[in-house]
Amino acid sequence: MYKILAPLCALALATTAHAQDLDSQSTAELLPQAQKEAKVTVYAFTSRIGRVEKAFETAYPGIDMVTFDMSSTEQIARIKSEAAAGVAGADVIYISDAPVVLTELLSQDLVAPYVPPRVAGDLPEHFKSPLLAQRLSTKVLMYNEEAHPDGSPVKNIWALTTPAWKGRVIMVDPLQRGDYLDLMTELVLKSDDMAKAYEATFGKPIKLGAGVENAGEQFIADLFANDLVLVGSTDDVNKAIGAKGQQNPPIGFTSYSDRRDNEDEGWALQVANDVEPSNGIVFPAFLALNPKAANPAAARLAIDFMMGDESETGGDGFKPFYVAGDWPTRTDIAPHPDAVPLADFKGWQIDPAKTAKIRAEVADFILALQ
Amino acid sequence: MTIPLRRLGSPLARHGLTIAMAVILIALVAAPLVTILIQTLQPASGAAAWMDVLTGRLSQNLFWRPTANTMIIGLGVAAGCVLLGGFLAWLVVMTDIPGRPAVAFMATLPFMIPSFATALAWGSVFRNGRVGGGGGLLEGLGFSVPDWLSWGMVPTIIVLIAHYYALAFTVIAAALATVNGDLVEAAQMTGASRKRILLGIVLPVVAPAIIAGGSLAFAGAVSNFAAPALLGLPVRMQTLSTRLFGMIEIGQTERGYVLAILLITISAVFLGFGNRILNSRRSFATISGKGARPRRFSLGGARLPLAILAWAICILTTILPILLLLAASLAPSSLSLFSGWSLHYWIGHSDPAFARGQPGIFHNPQLISALTTTVMLGAIVAVAANLLGILIAVALTRQKVPVLSNLVSQMSFLPMLLPGIAFAAAYIALYGAPIGPLPALYGTKLLLALALTAAMLPFAVQTGRATVAQISGDIDEAARMTGAGFFRRLGAITLPLAIRGLAAGLLISFVNVIGDLAITILLYTPTSPMLAVLSYSYASDGFHQFANAVTLVILVISMLATGAATLLHGRRRQNFA
Repeated sequence: MYKILAPLCALALATTAHAQDLDSQSTAELLPQAQKEAKVTVYAFTSRIGRVEKAFETAYPGIDMVTFDMSSTEQIARIKSEAAAGVAGADVIYISDAPVVLTELLSQDLVAPYVPPRVAGDLPEHFKSPLLAQRLSTKVLMYNEEAHPDGSPVKNIWALTTPAWKGRVIMVDPLQRGDYLDLMTELVLKSDDMAKAYEATFGKPIKLGAGVENAGEQFIADLFANDLVLVGSTDDVNKAIGAKGQQNPPIGFTSYSDRRDNEDEGWALQVANDVEPSNGIVFPAFLALNPKAANPAAARLAIDFMMGDESETGGDGFKPFYVAGDWPTRTDIAPHPDAVPLADFKGWQIDPAKTAKIRAEVADFILALQ
Repeated sequence: MTIPLRRLGSPLARHGLTIAMAVILIALVAAPLVTILIQTLQPASGAAAWMDVLTGRLSQNLFWRPTANTMIIGLGVAAGCVLLGGFLAWLVVMTDIPGRPAVAFMATLPFMIPSFATALAWGSVFRNGRVGGGGGLLEGLGFSVPDWLSWGMVPTIIVLIAHYYALAFTVIAAALATVNGDLVEAAQMTGASRKRILLGIVLPVVAPAIIAGGSLAFAGAVSNFAAPALLGLPVRMQTLSTRLFGMIEIGQTERGYVLAILLITISAVFLGFGNRILNSRRSFATISGKGARPRRFSLGGARLPLAILAWAICILTTILPILLLLAASLAPSSLSLFSGWSLHYWIGHSDPAFARGQPGIFHNPQLISALTTTVMLGAIVAVAANLLGILIAVALTRQKVPVLSNLVSQMSFLPMLLPGIAFAAAYIALYGAPIGPLPALYGTKLLLALALTAAMLPFAVQTGRATVAQISGDIDEAARMTGAGFFRRLGAITLPLAIRGLAAGLLISFVNVIGDLAITILLYTPTSPMLAVLSYSYASDGFHQFANAVTLVILVISMLATGAATLLHGRRRQNFA
């Protein structure tokens, strides 16, 4: 037993002592140790990691990148149990679901922040702390542009609660998918804006129903009362809204970047950006370290790689993520030409810490509705 | 081994097997569950979770309504499966209906088609405009499909019957095949009517199998997630399993575990009832040593209509969903399944202009390793679970120990009621970390194999019991009196006589393991994923054609296994004839 434990302890000590040094090292300084480690394991919430793997191994021959594609929820479960078992599974964690990651992983030191020195100057502060955000993704209102060639049929989010859209608003059950619950939570957090938008639509101040505490909750209650249609996955939402040849297609909340599949799937998805007070949420995808990483230098090298190189579009490391509807957090990477620039986008950027605080309450509120 | 046992005196010799099985079941089933239970009993968070679920303002939507839906689905599916499966089993085993082997083969297939595929198939025909996307086939033909036929309770029950009736069929058919031909012949010679024979001889004999089949269907239906999630959500119908999944998904684990415990309790009450019926009646022993060939009823004029009916059931529940899956693995757009077919998703090389650069599944290096892992694991788990299953069945029928026997019976059924995700979570909670001198099993294939074995026990034990309960105790008694030890009796009498039921159990476990997603998704070893995990990760990234193609690969393996099992049956029967 001791024979196994001794090197492990030495390794653990070594990693703690080295961590600070490694954080400030440039890629050139990291490289020799990373080559010695010769391997880096990545958990990622997207299949696009497969293309990152190929590009990384071309850029750094001799370092084997091992990637696992699993949902954020699975990753969280896995990381927790690996920590309990004392197994260092991943070196790099690429994950969304920010409110849970911050409150359940970062607060327990199950993941650690790392900002590559090379790109630190190109990132706004709130994308560097508490964890490094690599890009921004969305859950926003999308419509069928074939049926509505003149732009979004909805200009104010409260229109979704009117008879015109009864039974024709569709989204994933917020009690089954974390990011949709985050969307509902944001509506509650932005209650003041929601109240103003109500007045703009109906010409009178909002009146709250029994058991409803703010305009955001009132919107959610009205939306459910308007025969909201729930489905199990984002893909079902896309199909429902986007399918071509529909007379009267529904409208609903999904990912802006899914518009990239329009051609492959025969959809006509388009984002409704011109919506008061907002069309939905924008949230970060985090890149983090395992504090007990088996390959600490290669892990940092991999994060640096995934943040993109110095070219206009971020080069091969960022290429899989350079799509319309996802925005790089680096200010020096040019926005995708086909997408609404982030600055003009109406979506609210979530504050994961605030979201985490009232998320469970909002879930309970929704639970009482359905 | 047997000598010291005998010397230890009668109590241990008589109860030894039951005690050993109880210990194994505690390690495999009870301990992980107790771990979850303890988590919900933490004073701070646990108590609040129990209150929320049972009494608070949320309880109505969190527990009571989903429970009512779950019960309706469970009972409806159990009844439907017994009727449908029993009807087909009777036709295949007891009558002269044409094309019996084909019907028998096809009636076992639906269980191998993932229930989400059947649910999708239902949608592609009956879907109405409620979820946009242009509606299904019927709406396309100009019919207006009402919501109740498109979504919610009715389609969920129908789809689950179409999925689980194969279970009832397999178990009941195995039991019917053991009906003593002499008895039927005797009844016919003394002028009993067909109805009288059915109700007086056949039905009592297969009663344990009917209860077992109904129980399996009930438990499968109440814990099924895919069908209610796909068909129930658009009209906001929630069941305990969709609620449970949601609670775990949004991080409210305590409430999720509380729901899991309640789901187990409710089902345990119902299944305990079934168990009591099984245990209280001892008059099922019908396999005597003599191999009497089952007699076939002549259907006469009803032969053709019944054959057409049987074929219609089989085609609707097997061939149609398979064809839709196949089309969906070839069609570039999910909206027009029958146009622009391409083999790219199967054998294409990576092409940046097509399917976002994803190569066909046979060019995915993970496929081959996933294939071997899946088949190996399936075989090992099936054998382990069914060996345990037979031993438990023997213990339950031959060594009745008050309280302990009941405990063993209940524990062996528990895994069925636990949604795979909760079960896997419990396994991680207990065996993920080192226990004393035992190393942490997290991330090993052993942990996956243990969890899957435990999960398959309900099938193994139920099929084992249905068979063992019918094996006459007289032979065993005779062997024991002539001095045969326990293991010799097991090898020489019980196993050979139980082989037919065992084959059914092996098949069900194998097929279940290779198609399982819920447990493997949390426990698979990252270095070698299973096929179902591969299919899931394709699907979750929107690569549906690839996901469907992998699902078809699973299906082909399952069909090969079924084919092999049927061949073995055939040969055995010839030996008897």
